[in-house]
Amino acid sequence: MFQNPLQIAQLVFLLPLASAAVIALALRRQGNIAALVATFTATLIAAGGLYLAFSGERFGVTAPVSVDWLTLGSFTLSLGLKFDDLSALMLSIVGVIGLCVHVFSLGYMHDDDAKARYFGGLSLFMFAMLGIVFADNLFMMFIFWELVGLGSYLLINHYFFKPSAAAASKKAFIANRVGDFGYLCGILLCYHFYGTVNLSELAARSAAGTLAVNNVIPLLLFCGAVGKSAQLPLQVWLPDAMEGPTPVSALIHAATMVAAGIFMLCRIEPLFAIAPHALTIVMWVGTATALYAALCAITQRDIKKVLAYSTLSQLGYMVAAFGLGSLKVAHGGASAHEVVLAAGVGAAMFHLTTHAFFKALMFLGSGSVIHGCHHEQDIFKMGGLSKKMPLTFVTFTLGVLAIIGCPGLAGFFSKDAILYLAMEKNTAVFAVLCLTAVLTAFYMIRMWKLVFLGTTRSAAAAHAHEGGISMTLPLIVLAVLSVVGGYEAIYGGHFDGVLSQIAHPHGGDHTTILAVSLAVMLVGAGAAFLFYKPSADDTLQTKVPGAFAALTLTQKSFDAAYDYYVAKVQQRFAMLLNYIDLIGISGIIVRGTAGVTGLVGLATRALHTGSLHAYVYWFLGGAVFLWFFASR
Amino acid sequence: MFDHLLIAIATPLAAALLLLIPMPALARKVVAGVGFLMPALLALCVWAQFSVADAADYQFVTQYDTGLKDALGISLHLGLNGISLPLFVLAGIVGLAAGLYAIQSKAERPSLYLGLLLVMQAGLMGVFASIDVFFFYFFHEFALIATFIMVGVWGGRDRGYAAMKLTIYLTLGAMLSLIGLIALYHQSGAENFDLIALRQVIADGAINGSNQNVIFGLLLLGFGILVSLFPFHTWAPLGYGAAPSSAAMLHAGVLKKFGLYGLVQIAAPLLPLGVGHWSGWLALLAVGGNVLYIGFVTIAQRDLKQMIGYSSVMHMGYAFLGIAAFNIVGIGGVVLMMVAHGFSVALLFMLSTSIYHRTQTFDMDDMGGLAKQTPVLAAFFVTATFASIGLPGLANFWGELAIFVGAWKFSAVYTTLAISGVIISAVYGLRSAAKVFFGETSPALAKVSAEKAPTDLCWCEKIPALVLLAALLFVGFWPKSISEGVNTAVSALYSGK
Repeated sequence: MFQNPLQIAQLVFLLPLASAAVIALALRRQGNIAALVATFTATLIAAGGLYLAFSGERFGVTAPVSVDWLTLGSFTLSLGLKFDDLSALMLSIVGVIGLCVHVFSLGYMHDDDAKARYFGGLSLFMFAMLGIVFADNLFMMFIFWELVGLGSYLLINHYFFKPSAAAASKKAFIANRVGDFGYLCGILLCYHFYGTVNLSELAARSAAGTLAVNNVIPLLLFCGAVGKSAQLPLQVWLPDAMEGPTPVSALIHAATMVAAGIFMLCRIEPLFAIAPHALTIVMWVGTATALYAALCAITQRDIKKVLAYSTLSQLGYMVAAFGLGSLKVAHGGASAHEVVLAAGVGAAMFHLTTHAFFKALMFLGSGSVIHGCHHEQDIFKMGGLSKKMPLTFVTFTLGVLAIIGCPGLAGFFSKDAILYLAMEKNTAVFAVLCLTAVLTAFYMIRMWKLVFLGTTRSAAAAHAHEGGISMTLPLIVLAVLSVVGGYEAIYGGHFDGVLSQIAHPHGGDHTTILAVSLAVMLVGAGAAFLFYKPSADDTLQTKVPGAFAALTLTQKSFDAAYDYYVAKVQQRFAMLLNYIDLIGISGIIVRGTAGVTGLVGLATRALHTGSLHAYVYWFLGGAVFLWFFASR
Repeated sequence: MFDHLLIAIATPLAAALLLLIPMPALARKVVAGVGFLMPALLALCVWAQFSVADAADYQFVTQYDTGLKDALGISLHLGLNGISLPLFVLAGIVGLAAGLYAIQSKAERPSLYLGLLLVMQAGLMGVFASIDVFFFYFFHEFALIATFIMVGVWGGRDRGYAAMKLTIYLTLGAMLSLIGLIALYHQSGAENFDLIALRQVIADGAINGSNQNVIFGLLLLGFGILVSLFPFHTWAPLGYGAAPSSAAMLHAGVLKKFGLYGLVQIAAPLLPLGVGHWSGWLALLAVGGNVLYIGFVTIAQRDLKQMIGYSSVMHMGYAFLGIAAFNIVGIGGVVLMMVAHGFSVALLFMLSTSIYHRTQTFDMDDMGGLAKQTPVLAAFFVTATFASIGLPGLANFWGELAIFVGAWKFSAVYTTLAISGVIISAVYGLRSAAKVFFGETSPALAKVSAEKAPTDLCWCEKIPALVLLAALLFVGFWPKSISEGVNTAVSALYSGK
């Protein structure tokens, strides 16, 4: 029945919506059935998605595959599927990580009271995420862009009885809305400036060189990515989003939704290709985020917060990579011509892929740790878990090695691709990204050592135990992917539209990059390993309190500023306007006018003298009188 | 001949008259139920049979001479085009929900309460089914009078002041718009005071520019007051705060749309130069006043019902911006938004009353953590909130988006400012949801709960809520269900503008 790839894609796309609807309507009280329905759906999405991606089927690239959804006058909003190598890669990631997280959740959320709501939310999120992956135009992408925000809101707010979770979900949605404000303005400007928001059409016109230069459109669209991918200055929502259940953090706030900003940037790369100034701004925003978040991660005590800041930092890496832009490389030996690679897209998407694997692995690993330690999240109260949870220890270690760029693991290759590009394009960015890599190795090894090595520092950690098969299996799958994900061969050439854009260093450059990347890793990792002692207090705080305080201040500065704005500026301004509205407009103007205006005065008196009815008749009589007068 | 439209108007009226006879509670419920159900069913029936391709023309047309035809050019001329059809359906569905909610409520003097609500319902069906401008106006007054009485008698806090203020404002608005309509009729030189005749006459020779400016100005002021255009908005939060829930649902959801409908269907297409003359001022008031100023005022509200009232005023700013844009996309967006806003605001008013029954307060600071006891109520309220802040998948998104697309051509600056309103609405919308439902149980709620533990929505509340929610989702997922007819009709009326 479903022979046609397009039909399979439609099925994959709509299944999670059906799953969410069934759970919402019929399975509210049947949590276990809801869990199975959602997980079964996730399995089908993974299977269908991987089949589509690896069978080499592509559609919607040259000829649109779409239906008109809303037409008013000359404006048509269509929903269409665009399935090229970029979306195939993204679909594979979403499918695989989605399935791992669903399976992991079966164990992690086993005793939760609101399982149906949780799995329904996951299905809704999968639907929205697939919409972003498949969208062939910016309006459609915006629709699903907002819907992933809803999924994120619902899942962060899973433990809604906790004030912190309620506040975090609200903050996440509003911060995203701020980004979406710019994003929607960008889409409208794009629609009115270029006359189309179709991605393929924009790409085709860019290739033909008929796209007029406009730096504002890509920058406004970038606002959407700043919100969704939590770049400076809207990064504040992501650490708070850790209030959600840990598998949600793995799926939404590490591997897929927050990466959607980078995916979207790669989608609109043609608009950036003609706007170098916009690209420069993107590059610096990403670079600053990478460094800032890495600094914040150093002082965190909560295992999930460390991972959250690490995610921010890595997202900054990807955005910076995208902003570095294209690269001219010699093709086929010394005498050959030069070709321009969209190296930024290649490197960003490559890192997005490997990061999805190892970060989802580490988040699920942290979930396994938290589950094992009876919901203890403070790394200073853990320690010695390597013996109690050997499988989690081994897989988590692979994840850590991957993110710090240990040779042979996934993160090594993708990080090198970004560092090489930075070295070729912009030395300052290169220096900052290298520093960030040192810090990454530093805070990662700090966390790893405190959690898994040394002595056990709390009763909860002393009784830690491994979760069931549903929790260990996803860890193994993701650990394997974190090891092999850096070898382009495993993708079988199916994503060459993206991966062939990666710039590889040759000769002397190759040696330089290898040396730099090894050096930064060893310096950062070694320093942390030697510096941190297994104790209940942060060694940095006790030994160098000044530096610790400075880092904490840096981390809290944004939240402090926003809190000040919300409580002291926005709220007071709102109260002031409310006061004006009550006293000014309705009080003085309205009542004052009522005093002098005969008409209103009459009406008031009619009311004061007695019944409403009398007035009503008076009014109707007046209307008829006027009528007569006018129609003569 | 079976005249759907006339029966849809007459049934609630007949039911209201029947309720004057004393009868047992069950019979009363049945009579009122039929009175509310019939218009909704007939509206859906008409919607199913409506020919979208001919949506520019009036369909289901009937004409009855009321004896005033020769003297005044007035007759009961009923029919629906692509613009009035979705509003007619809106009136039917919101009426059904408000009616079902009222039937189970414990209002004093229930016969009179239901009877007045049925009178409102009849008026609403009549407003959107009328081709004749007199009856369009007449039905509005009809419903409005019932509203005043309901606020005055069954209202909550400050009902006396609220009823007075509501009456003064809305009567003034209605009066100004009546003067404008009469002036329009007079200036056009038409023989009949119905819209088809007016359109024909004006197609042959437009009204001169300066007269258009004056007449449209009058109509804008009059209709604007009725739709709470800044700075004539202060009646709305106060009135809705005091109004009994079903009356608030019908007024905010449907009756308020009379003014926008009058502008879109009658005033703007007949007075294009007048629109052009006033559009700058209109956009300024709509965006600076309704969207931004009222948006911030909404953030400051503590009273749940007042907050919903203010948020409704804010959303009207988008509609006025769409009218100022004066192109097919913008005007089409206004019609979509009128329908969507009607469903969402009615649902919010209804749920806020359900919340009140459980918390004994409208003060959001005294709520908190209600979701633990009432998860279904929380789910409905959060969904309705997301609808009202324009989340895709729910009806309101399409109208807002189309208005933004249309208005961008008119003024990118005003549109950008208006779009920033989506942040403001997210702030107050999510804040209210969090204050009422999430976090820990507030001391005040704990006290109320100790006396009588809040129970989740009963079926008598769930059914009307589901009716409105289904409508929001249906239009949200399938905007074509109304947009095709709207597009045809608006394109015909606004071609070349």
